[in-house]
Amino acid sequence: MASGSFKRAPVTGGAAPRHNVLDSLRATQIVGSKPVLPAELIAQILDYLSIPDLLRFARTSRRMCEMVYDDTRWVSRLKAMGLWNDVEARRRAEEVRRRQMEIQKAREPEEEARRLGIVQGQSEAGVLGVGNAQRAGTTLFDAGWEEDRRRQSLEKAKAAQPPLETGFDAMTLSHVAAPNSATPRDPALALKAMMQVRSIRGYARQEYGKVYGAMAPFYFDLARAQSHTDPILFRTYREPEQQASMLASLKVFARSDIAMGWESREEKLESMMGIFENAALREFEQGYGAGDVDGRMRRYAHVLVVLNGGAAAVDAFIQSHALFSESGGLGMLLDCIQSVSPGHGGAGVRLEPAHDYFRRLASSLNEQGAVIDRVFPPSVNVLTPFIERVAEDIISEYITTLFDEAHERSLEAYLKVVPGVFEAAAKFSRSIQPSKASPPDFSNQVAHLVASKAFEQHIDLYLQEELDFFKRASDGEVTAWEKRLDDEQQSTESFLMSNVSRQAAKRDFLTSFRKVVMMPVSVLPTPFAGSAKPASSPNPNLATTSGGEVLSAPSSRPSTPALPERSSSPNPPVSELPTTELAAKAAIMASRLEGIRSLFSIEVALNIIHAAKSSLDRAALFVKFPITQAAGEAREQCEIIFVELLNQLGGRHIRPGFDKAVEHLSHYNPRKLKEHGGNQGQVAPLVTFLELVNVGDLIQQMVDVFYVQEMVAPKLVDRDDFLAAANKEKKRFEQMLDERVAAGLNKGIDVLMEEVEFIAATTQSATDFNPGAAGAVDVKSDAVVDVGPTETATRIVELVSSHTGMLVGSTDKNMLDVFNQEVGLRLFTALCKHLKRQRISVEGAIKLISDTNAYYSYIATLRNKSLTQYFAALRELSQIYLISSKHAKEIATIIADQDRYYGIFRAEEVYEFAERRADWYLVKRDVERAMYGIGCGVM
Amino acid sequence: MSSSQMVTLTTSDNVDIQVERAVAERSILIKNLLEDLGGESGEAIPIPNVNESVMKKVLEWCEQHKKDPPATADDDSDSRKKSTDIDDWDQKFMQVDQEMLFEIILAANYLDIKALLDVGCKTVANMIKGKSPDEIRKTFNIQNDFTPEEEDQIRRENEWAEE
Repeated sequence: MASGSFKRAPVTGGAAPRHNVLDSLRATQIVGSKPVLPAELIAQILDYLSIPDLLRFARTSRRMCEMVYDDTRWVSRLKAMGLWNDVEARRRAEEVRRRQMEIQKAREPEEEARRLGIVQGQSEAGVLGVGNAQRAGTTLFDAGWEEDRRRQSLEKAKAAQPPLETGFDAMTLSHVAAPNSATPRDPALALKAMMQVRSIRGYARQEYGKVYGAMAPFYFDLARAQSHTDPILFRTYREPEQQASMLASLKVFARSDIAMGWESREEKLESMMGIFENAALREFEQGYGAGDVDGRMRRYAHVLVVLNGGAAAVDAFIQSHALFSESGGLGMLLDCIQSVSPGHGGAGVRLEPAHDYFRRLASSLNEQGAVIDRVFPPSVNVLTPFIERVAEDIISEYITTLFDEAHERSLEAYLKVVPGVFEAAAKFSRSIQPSKASPPDFSNQVAHLVASKAFEQHIDLYLQEELDFFKRASDGEVTAWEKRLDDEQQSTESFLMSNVSRQAAKRDFLTSFRKVVMMPVSVLPTPFAGSAKPASSPNPNLATTSGGEVLSAPSSRPSTPALPERSSSPNPPVSELPTTELAAKAAIMASRLEGIRSLFSIEVALNIIHAAKSSLDRAALFVKFPITQAAGEAREQCEIIFVELLNQLGGRHIRPGFDKAVEHLSHYNPRKLKEHGGNQGQVAPLVTFLELVNVGDLIQQMVDVFYVQEMVAPKLVDRDDFLAAANKEKKRFEQMLDERVAAGLNKGIDVLMEEVEFIAATTQSATDFNPGAAGAVDVKSDAVVDVGPTETATRIVELVSSHTGMLVGSTDKNMLDVFNQEVGLRLFTALCKHLKRQRISVEGAIKLISDTNAYYSYIATLRNKSLTQYFAALRELSQIYLISSKHAKEIATIIADQDRYYGIFRAEEVYEFAERRADWYLVKRDVERAMYGIGCGVM
Repeated sequence: MSSSQMVTLTTSDNVDIQVERAVAERSILIKNLLEDLGGESGEAIPIPNVNESVMKKVLEWCEQHKKDPPATADDDSDSRKKSTDIDDWDQKFMQVDQEMLFEIILAANYLDIKALLDVGCKTVANMIKGKSPDEIRKTFNIQNDFTPEEEDQIRRENEWAEE
């Protein structure tokens, strides 16, 4: 074997002595110094040889023959033609191995196989030489077995289709040993040669030989041909189908031609094919012109398909189609926006023309689908490129014009037309019938095509406009509201809402809100849905002026929460009769929430949410866009819209409202405001604020409903995806709201307590708990009769309870508990402070006990255990005043009795309270002695 | 590292040849060597498998082709890409006696100059084209170890390839 080393061949100049010295010298040099190329280089050189040269080279020596016969060389050629199947080869090899094992095990090789194997093996073994005897042995079985197989399959094939296989038998049987050079000339056989190649390891050369034998004569003849009439191919085969099939095979065959000069040969082949294609195409077109669908068109379509997939025929078919020269569709589409005047809103948009147009297009396409099925073989998918063309040339052109026109006339119209037409087009893609050749995902493909060819270019602009539009709308809404607020600020004062079933009203409102949100924006519910777009109009009050068939007609529901609408409301929020449930509800809520008008408006929030909803619904259509990237963009844009909504609502609308309310609260000074008696024990700014909390909560719930309905349900956003911008923003929004509420409540409690202290300080008269002190005996007797709580206590309880009650149902339970706890504790402290300022006689103690009872029973309603204990302790405490001065020891016992006070007061504290007894100085000594005496005794 | 830097190559017959680095680097072997040496050493690089006359010839080719884009690794994956025709300059360049041709091929193989090796192989392939086995044997100094029967057997086996 050749070594890679760089060694020189031994001098073999045997012939030298006959010539003169110089000659011999030269000869010796030439032969002797001739470097030997290593095998790898020879192999490389062989790559450049043509097949005949290669096989002649094989005849020079055993080594060369081995190199030429190397299976990989031939496998790679078969691979180049796409005729080698690795899997098949492996399977065969494994089968052979298994068979060998079986045979060896049985130790009695089949007689037939052996005989054939020897016949077969002779050539192989002879060529491979004695050194390969071992391997040749294996080859024997291989060959024999392969032969068997081949014959079996052949017989089967012959039985299946005898007329086609004439001459096939003999040739295939003999071809392994030496494929006959005469047989490939058989035209019918040559056509089939490609299909009969099998992947057998060790037989690649023979298999390639079959193909080469069939193809090469035509191939090289073609390469040499001067004109298209020359090649024998066209003389051998008369039928265009056969010619096409042969040309296509040659094209494949040319891929295995790696010898030098293949470029020019391939070029020649290409040009021949081009000529042939043109001729066939002409026939096809003529057939087309004549309307000869089943005759010439069908025939030449098949020819062209066989030749090279039929792209030219498909092109011709599509190009010359009447659909593309037809016009009029554009006018139809433009009808959509005919009634839209510049500067006007989107009210004049009609989408029926678009639907009509697409319906017509779909029906003519379906007709074409039938024709295509007749003309083209089912292996060629003509309809898809056809539709691609339609999408590209017709739809795209038309909608571009339409969109441009709409954009020019009015932005809103544009925003409506784009998704509307997209929807119509989506319906159109669904309505197209697949042809026989269409892939299983045909309708997806069509949708994809229509989307990519016609809509993709518009999507970016549309989404951007949609976002801008929403931004502008919401911004305008907020700004307008702020401006109006400014104008009215002086004239308006806060009105308080009544306390009637706030929770029920809110739930009611939310129900209708949810309903409205769930309702489709109806960009296009049906082609004849009219122009009803209740939700897309920025103002819900005007939303359904054009017909609210989607919403229930003005039901009796708006009046269900029968509460007195404040006639004094300075600004009746709804002047006309609200025609939708939501509008009605909004009106009621608005009128009810008059109190916070000056802070923020639920109406504005509602409007913004509406605008967001309509924008989102339109943009969300494109999330189903068949192109992933565009769909992703659409999804992103939807998220941005949502984030923007939260920003507008939270950042610009609610936060300033809350800030203002908190500011009001902190400025509130009950001592300055003397007229608050009219408010029936309510701290106006706090009430306002609590209402605000209510509304804030309402808005948050609205946002939540909106989020679930609009973002989560259509899968725009994954609820668990904590990284999604929408989710983050929502969380931030909620946090912001919570923070504001907490801050406000903090302030609110301060204010409330100030008020409590104020009331306590101003209304509690000294005689309340110490009737005797004033010296008026008659007063004293009166006091005994009157056992109810004092006016001060009543008012304080009223005040505090009205405020705590206001929060029920508006914030979440935890917040409420914390608030109540805080209020209770602060109230407790305030009361203790207050108590320590009083002087209490035994008679007054009864009054005090009724007071503490009143506090206690109020606190008990809050259902806060620890808080209740505080007030229970207070109640117990008040009893120390009841004990008459004669029983000073008992007083001491009670003071020291820790269990009485639930551990809330220490003895020292109780002692301090005891000091407030009117007769303290009388009992002090006794008490102290009793206390410390007892204490000593215990010690 | 300026591209006009010179390197010295020492051939098998101990002749030093000065050559522009960019030219020498057409040889992947030399290129890798130079990179391994780290540039500025100025040491002569021994090329023990190539003699002066062959080296000169090879460098002539390198000089001519120094502007060619470097061969990409995936070039040999497509066997068809290789077998383009030889350009005129190369054709003329390869008009040498057969011994030199083989030496050039061997040198190109050793020095790892793919393009030159290809040209050489193609030239040899052209020499084989259309020749009978006997002529081929003569040209390449191949000894026939076939019996006439064996040779005939191979011929018959491959009759399909004859035109």
